Amino acid sequence: MAPLRFGLHAIGLLAPGFDDLSELRGAIRAGVPPTDDVPTPLPAPAGLPANERRRASQAVRLVLACAERALADSPFAAAELRTVCATDEGAGEVSLRMLETLATDRQVSPLVFPNSVYNAPSGNLSIAHGNREAANVVSFGFESFASGLLCAVVDASADHRPVMLVSYDPAMPEPLAELQPVSRSTGCAWILAADGVPTENPPMARFELSLVDPAQAPASPLPGWLAPWWAGHSSASAFAALGLLEAPAGSRFSMSLGGRTLVLDRLGDGA
Amino acid sequence: MSNPPGKSVLGLVASSVVHAAGHDPESLWRAAVEGRTGLRRNDLDWCSLDGWLGRVPGVEDAALAPEFAQWDCRNHRLAWLALRDADFAQAVAAAVTRHGAPRVGLLLGTSTSGIRATEQAYARRRDDGRWPTDFSWRHQHSADSIARFAAAVLGVQGPMSVLTTACSSSAKVFLTAQRWIDAGLVDAAVVGGADSLCLSTLHGFDALQLLSDDVCRPFDAGRRGISIGEAAGFVLLAREPAAVSLAGGGESSDAYHMSAPHPEGRGARDAMRAALDAAGLEPRDIGYVNAHGTATPANDRAEAAALASVFGAHGVPVSSNKGITGHTLGACGVVDAIVTAKALENELLPPSAMVREVDASLPVDVLREARPARGIRHAMSNNFGFGGSNCTLVFRRTG
Repeated sequence: MAPLRFGLHAIGLLAPGFDDLSELRGAIRAGVPPTDDVPTPLPAPAGLPANERRRASQAVRLVLACAERALADSPFAAAELRTVCATDEGAGEVSLRMLETLATDRQVSPLVFPNSVYNAPSGNLSIAHGNREAANVVSFGFESFASGLLCAVVDASADHRPVMLVSYDPAMPEPLAELQPVSRSTGCAWILAADGVPTENPPMARFELSLVDPAQAPASPLPGWLAPWWAGHSSASAFAALGLLEAPAGSRFSMSLGGRTLVLDRLGDGA
Repeated sequence: MSNPPGKSVLGLVASSVVHAAGHDPESLWRAAVEGRTGLRRNDLDWCSLDGWLGRVPGVEDAALAPEFAQWDCRNHRLAWLALRDADFAQAVAAAVTRHGAPRVGLLLGTSTSGIRATEQAYARRRDDGRWPTDFSWRHQHSADSIARFAAAVLGVQGPMSVLTTACSSSAKVFLTAQRWIDAGLVDAAVVGGADSLCLSTLHGFDALQLLSDDVCRPFDAGRRGISIGEAAGFVLLAREPAAVSLAGGGESSDAYHMSAPHPEGRGARDAMRAALDAAGLEPRDIGYVNAHGTATPANDRAEAAALASVFGAHGVPVSSNKGITGHTLGACGVVDAIVTAKALENELLPPSAMVREVDASLPVDVLREARPARGIRHAMSNNFGFGGSNCTLVFRRTG
């Protein structure tokens, strides 16, 4: 397999204690979690029509906010990006509303049902930016980010187009949180382009992605700068992998993916 | 006609499918050619909605092997019935032997996964304050469970994922698999998907007033909405000669509305054109289109407009299988792909089942009867979903 090399061009994140990339880099350098871990308010998405903006679910707000933040630093126009959304449960409080209704009078709201599908944030993202490019949505448990990153980098290489990957976990309300302990909404958008795609500015970092035997490379543990409550979040890997931004070329972050390990290697600027 | 450089020719080496009209590809094809519906009036004892369902016979009685007991749910029973298809299982085993389990990938699509299990468990959690002890969210509902279950049954260990873009899910998996094989990540891939009857989609589509009280009648003047079905289907894709190969595909987004298609079918048109480009073909090269054809007034109108803009008015023969299987949501991509491949293999175009009178305002050539198509080389399959997610696949007859 030919190496899958790509440049990371922009990051947009939203999580307690991590309001922007500089805060995240500060925590990585300090090696300890930020003291602030209050759930972050999710802004109403500016790009949607007024009705849709008001009724946007937490998951839709989360994904659109991460995307906005990444796009603010992106060298690419929003409408020209392929997108990949990667999530574990994906719908958060909408799932509970559906289940409660179905367990009682079964009078489902026509406004709630379309927001209960996994690709509701992805669909709203395309609507907000008038983006008619291909949009993928992957869900693979705790390996959702690894699976999304592989899809995003392969898509970027195959089509020679930049890709925005958004990895996210909407907070799960009780009692669903008993099944899946996600207490705070977290999300992280990566805008990336394969090597060879011309860009105005150099990427903030370059990486190589490969699949190896798990015996060769076990999955990396979550770093100490992520508080213990991150353990149930599929997007924790999207944050943890950014530790490589503060690490020298040759450093790596490994994630399980199905029967394989997905390895992300930091490349030097000239490699 | 050769594939564009860098793209592998991927044979559809083997397939399996369970659906309302039977438990294998052959019974699906026979029902499609005869225009014989598998839909029945809703007789579920847990849902009283008035309508017709594509309920798979025998799913309630299907028993997973004891070692898979923790995965037991309606969605995985459907998948189990399809995974046990002897020819399919043998072909996957041969691929695993030939390439090694880590070099066989798995990409499946689902919309609601095993949500029926969570609906039942939640009702009990509400009543007695505890989740049932035999309920496992991770094994029965979580979207990844369908792939982890299938991987365990088939013994594949490559990279895997689940795509969940509503009703385009199990069409899009073909294209992600093609990119993974082209990138050299795997040598072969199992693609497909499963979706099963559940309260969420039955009452959800009812709330949107998209459920028909009649059998669904795609492209009919009197169509009144969808009939929901269930299905599980799998296809083994590999760089091997096969009667039918994947010639290419296209994906697009409507960027218009969460639950309504763009009125002129803009995204559908984009997906079809992208698929033709990817396959290196012109519209005249396509001998048949297996339409998404859900039988909602809006879908069929938008899809007809898109077809006319790509092929010209009445420019290509079209049919939909939804009258046979119902709308199988996240599984309809692979169901339609299997019917499209069968049409090429048999050089015979299946009719659009349950049509009484074609809607004359639609600029499409709707197949009323099976039509011979000697020498047909290429056919197309469309699938569109909530969120404006569109996917078109193009298949080629190899012979």
